[in-house]
Amino acid sequence: MIRTFYDEMYDVDGAVRPHYREFARWLGEAPPELLAQRRREADLLFHRAGITFTLYGDEQGTERLIPFDTIPRSIPASEWRVVERGCIQRVKALNMFLADLYHGQRVIKAGIIPAEQVLANEQYQLAMQGLNLHRDLYSHISGVDLVRDGDGTYYVLEDNLRTPSGVSYMLEDRKMMMRLFPELFAAQRIAPVDHYPNLLLDTLKSSSPLDNPSVVVLTPGRFNSAFFEHAFLAREMGVELVEGADLFVRDDRVFMRTTDGPKAVDVIYRRLDDAFLDPLAFNPDSMLGVPGLLSAYRSGNVVLANAIGTGVADDKSVYPFVTDMIRFYLDEEPILKNVPTWQCRKPEELSHVLANLGDLVVKETQGSGGYGMLVGPAATAAEIEAFRARLKAKPHAYIAQPTLSLSTCPTFVENGIAPRHIDLRPFVLSGRETRVVPGGLTRVALREGSLVVNSSQGGGTKDTWVVED
Amino acid sequence: MRLSISHETTYHYDDQVRASIQYLRLTPHDSERQQVLSWQLSLPRPVRAQVDPFGNILHVLTMDEPHEAIVIGARGQVEIDEKREAEHESQSSLPFLRFTRLTEADEAIRAFAARQTKKRTDRNALIDLMQALNQHIVYTPGSTAVDTSAAQAFANGAGVCQDHTHAFLACARSLGVPARYVSGYLYSDSSEHLASHAWAEAWIDDAWYSFDVTNQLAIPERHLKLAVGLDYLDACPVRGMRRGGGCEQMHAKVVVSDSAPVATPVVQMQVQRQS
Repeated sequence: MIRTFYDEMYDVDGAVRPHYREFARWLGEAPPELLAQRRREADLLFHRAGITFTLYGDEQGTERLIPFDTIPRSIPASEWRVVERGCIQRVKALNMFLADLYHGQRVIKAGIIPAEQVLANEQYQLAMQGLNLHRDLYSHISGVDLVRDGDGTYYVLEDNLRTPSGVSYMLEDRKMMMRLFPELFAAQRIAPVDHYPNLLLDTLKSSSPLDNPSVVVLTPGRFNSAFFEHAFLAREMGVELVEGADLFVRDDRVFMRTTDGPKAVDVIYRRLDDAFLDPLAFNPDSMLGVPGLLSAYRSGNVVLANAIGTGVADDKSVYPFVTDMIRFYLDEEPILKNVPTWQCRKPEELSHVLANLGDLVVKETQGSGGYGMLVGPAATAAEIEAFRARLKAKPHAYIAQPTLSLSTCPTFVENGIAPRHIDLRPFVLSGRETRVVPGGLTRVALREGSLVVNSSQGGGTKDTWVVED
Repeated sequence: MRLSISHETTYHYDDQVRASIQYLRLTPHDSERQQVLSWQLSLPRPVRAQVDPFGNILHVLTMDEPHEAIVIGARGQVEIDEKREAEHESQSSLPFLRFTRLTEADEAIRAFAARQTKKRTDRNALIDLMQALNQHIVYTPGSTAVDTSAAQAFANGAGVCQDHTHAFLACARSLGVPARYVSGYLYSDSSEHLASHAWAEAWIDDAWYSFDVTNQLAIPERHLKLAVGLDYLDACPVRGMRRGGGCEQMHAKVVVSDSAPVATPVVQMQVQRQS
């Protein structure tokens, strides 16, 4: 099957798109030795800064550098404004959905989504039922994963409303590009992203009804794959980075142990999954959480960002309903499209999926990070048969989508420059207002033809530019 | 029937405990079949009551002064409407369809549930299931531990009330029937079964019906409900953590009697299991 890919830099006739002209001219003039030297410099700087990513499923448990590609992904500002509005619209609707689900459940009564789909979902948290949150916000920090099909149309691949990661790479990639190629930033207007930590702190503070709440970042610890990011964001915001053992609960209030004695904590930016937050309420084996945290939270004495129970809204089995949620809550047409999705729990859709496994992408509804998925066109016959058995055994655990062609962007590879597939994760901050820093994190699949961009699966990153056109 | 309860739990530690925290679900609330006439918790320090995610009354006791023992007392009187078989509730029962680690239904449990009920899900079918489980998992004190799962107890064919209940929940949920764990007290004139007890409730015809697998009772005539949840971990009377303290010895004394509170100890437990 022949696929046509949308290339971010070149149009179908091979001409450079207008928003890439400045960069293409510079690239054409830059001596290859200089580019090679700058790339080596970038590798060295990233190593020195300790920007690494721990790989799961790797027997050595190695920390690995996420490859950084020096050719940026560029988006014209006019196009970005549509994407931005689409992301804001989507996250607003998802927050309204969560508030509704944990209160009146209008969305179920109106028949938009089946009750069993959400209420029997493992990610639906009874602990949130009837609990009122400041500003009715559940997902303060959201990541919306976008891809572009053959004609350049943007699609939402998934929403990330639990503990979306990657923003530190967005910030470090920009710093690196400005350091290595300052001339590029002088030649054109590229929207800045370095105010993200300020916006994040502002968002976290506005999540509390208090005037000047004390904020901490709660990390599972240095063995977590995103520990670098937790430390990075705490430092950039100028707040404490804590582990569960640094916090304790007394009389439904959360305190941090400090050398000056206990200090009250009002907002916790937690990078820890729901199940590990409080060993007395959730997973009893969790050594990472804070005993009593749920009682303090439910008493309204501390804010968790994101809230508990957001996972029910970004579950892949709920994803097909998001466009209807936008219509239902906002009375607007969705700006960004959903990828058509077959729900394997429905027998008629399952039989379609089983008959077309070779053409489809099949994902676990609870999976993330590109683990446990099948990319039909790239799989061997044996892999497809093995997956067929898993799918038949637990159909409700899977959804399937057509294989999108994913846009490409020129990327440095072993033998020069070649197109590689990319995606985009803008970060949406919901507080007093809903905001997005221009661009986001662009991930690139470095293997030729690969459609999996996750860093755990050998993906790299690129600086993402929003260029005034 | 009017039940009087006196439940005292004492923790002794070999070393000083630097800090401890306990989630206590030791206070019943009014419902269609029980009316709390009086209830009192005695705790080492005053604690405000709150309502937990399942609607249970929860006290969170935090102690951050060094201590070597904790005594937790609960006593009161509750009037039970013996004739009421089911209880209604406005909250959706659907969250009680999900499995937990302790109530996961493996192939053996699924097959057993389907065979015993012939895949029917009415009350009589579930009563058949309750009796079959009682036969299959033989009541054997000491055969399991607090973290034994339904599948383990089912495979070993032995357990106590907690295991009976978990196995029933796994079976019911595998049939698509919402079911929940109930922790409470049982009045018994024999001393064969302990007074702190666990049983199950299943959602049939828009109401919660009781299934006490251990005693093969489908009408909760001698049962005082303390708390409900997805499994033992959500509903158990005491769940706590501490820093320091070394080894722990725990003594619990429960007295359940009908009418006036004439206290004669029915049972002494070394470990607070729900039997």
